[in-house]
Amino acid sequence: MQRIELNNTLPAVFAGREEDNSQVWLRQVAFERGKMYLISAESGTGKSSMCSYVYGYRTDYSGTIAFDGRDVRQLSIDEWCDVRCRHIAYLPQELRLFPELTAIENVELKNRLTGFKTRKQIEGYFEQLGIPDKVDSPVARLSIGQQQRVAIIRTLCQPCDFILLDEPVSHLDAANNRIVAQMVTDEARSQGAGVISTSVGNNVMIKVDKEYKL
Amino acid sequence: MKGLMWKLLRKHISTSQLLGFALANLVGLTIVTLAVQFYQDVLPVFNDQESFIRKDYLIITRSVSSAGAMLGNSSEFSDTDIADIERQPWCRKVGRFVSSEYSTFATIGATNGKAMRTQFFFESIPSDFIDADPGEWDFDPQRPEVPVIVSRDYLSMYNFGFAAAQGMPKISESQAGIIPLSFTFTGNGRNEVLPGRIVGFSNRLNTIIVPEEFMRWSNDRYGQGGHQHPLRLIVEVNRPGDVKIKDYMDAHHYDVAGDKMSSSKAYYFLTLIISIVGVVGVIISLLSFFVLMLSIYLLLQKNTRKLQNLLMLGYSPAQVSRTYIRLVVAINGTVLAASVALMLAARYYYMLTLRAFGTQGGPLWQSLAAAVAIMVCITAGNVMAIRRKVLSLWIQE
Repeated sequence: MQRIELNNTLPAVFAGREEDNSQVWLRQVAFERGKMYLISAESGTGKSSMCSYVYGYRTDYSGTIAFDGRDVRQLSIDEWCDVRCRHIAYLPQELRLFPELTAIENVELKNRLTGFKTRKQIEGYFEQLGIPDKVDSPVARLSIGQQQRVAIIRTLCQPCDFILLDEPVSHLDAANNRIVAQMVTDEARSQGAGVISTSVGNNVMIKVDKEYKL
Repeated sequence: MKGLMWKLLRKHISTSQLLGFALANLVGLTIVTLAVQFYQDVLPVFNDQESFIRKDYLIITRSVSSAGAMLGNSSEFSDTDIADIERQPWCRKVGRFVSSEYSTFATIGATNGKAMRTQFFFESIPSDFIDADPGEWDFDPQRPEVPVIVSRDYLSMYNFGFAAAQGMPKISESQAGIIPLSFTFTGNGRNEVLPGRIVGFSNRLNTIIVPEEFMRWSNDRYGQGGHQHPLRLIVEVNRPGDVKIKDYMDAHHYDVAGDKMSSSKAYYFLTLIISIVGVVGVIISLLSFFVLMLSIYLLLQKNTRKLQNLLMLGYSPAQVSRTYIRLVVAINGTVLAASVALMLAARYYYMLTLRAFGTQGGPLWQSLAAAVAIMVCITAGNVMAIRRKVLSLWIQE
């Protein structure tokens, strides 16, 4: 997948909005593979909605979203599963971890599907993010910041063309922000993937090619 | 992955609900299989030629008291009447009784000793309606000997009525064949004596039967060419005791000989009762199916968020459904096995009684096929519902 395009896209809840200062909604926007993007937004402007449209689990929008020119509304469920396993790595804002599983089990649940990282690499990520002692802790017992780091590790456990991050560092301090930024940048570079990150203020410290205001 | 999925999705599984389903389905399925098996096991009792409940032949005559009997030859069955009976759904085939049209005397006993002489009559029917196995059942005018089949009731009547009262010896069935017997036929200016022999006894036919060949020959030789149409019919029915038969007979003022109609109802009611029991079993199975459906829906509902999260990780709906499908298949498989075991156990006990009727039971495959078919249907319904429910979680608006 080389391009993700948004053409005149607008969430259904914003329908009827005439004047819009957004650089994304009701515009032509294209995200290129291999480039870094930041979507900065105020709360309630629809950044999580945008992520859910691109990731295919919500369809309540007008306009079109296309992968390499193909309207995503035409994708079958099997094709979406393929997108989620091999083309778009997604970190949802609400993390979507399973609290009854341990941190490593949460990561394994994804990695066994893709077979992308070794156990050693995964443990290396835990190490880098300062939570090597939390590997076998149930996620329910981790702080929200620790959970966010587990979710980031899980996001990186797949081959991809784009890494889609919805407020990836909202619960992290500057030091961890920097580490996450480095990990994401390294992973994107190694795969030649693009990065689309959203933020309401606490931006992930990656060097972006283009910033859009939502 | 299997272990992780199970660890994740087993939460909210209600053991009591699943146990309730399993028990209800076990009861329903066992009732159905038992009903089918019992029917199969009892069937040979009905199909046994000599069995006392076998009453699927009806002998009918026109009611003498009916208004129609006042009008000439109306006690005969016309071709139209017979064709109408043959058209009825309960009728397999119709046989015509042909009566002798001449005067006959039978002489029983040695010609040189004590002999009994009595007026006699004959009838004939197609041989496939005869329930005795007479061995040589034909007639050769070149070597005329008349084989007869007599109602078993006549022998009883003689042994326990006549012989007992007159101080005569009792006769067994095998002895009856060697009793010297001759018939004197009078008609058409002829008066001839032919030897005869009792070759069998019938439970079904309350008359004296001779081969059809003999009847044709003797009616040609001694008869006046009187009756063209039969006075009695024998009807093989596929559902003896069916109320439709009784309604038909009443409507046409036909009489059914003896109590065959009422005794044959045993078979009909048995079939009816087994059908009702079977239907109750199916209903219980269906209800249990809905209990399982509800339980699974509730389970999926409670785990909605988890299932959606799995789909977002890239798991396909089929992969996500698999855990629950495995659960359902395991439960249903266990219920099926338990139900068949229960059925076999119950069969073992009732067969102890049924063997007294001389049957070894019917085949097992019908009841096993019914059990498997019902379980496959229930499982397919469950699997489809699970798949649909999981698919409905795909879009999270």
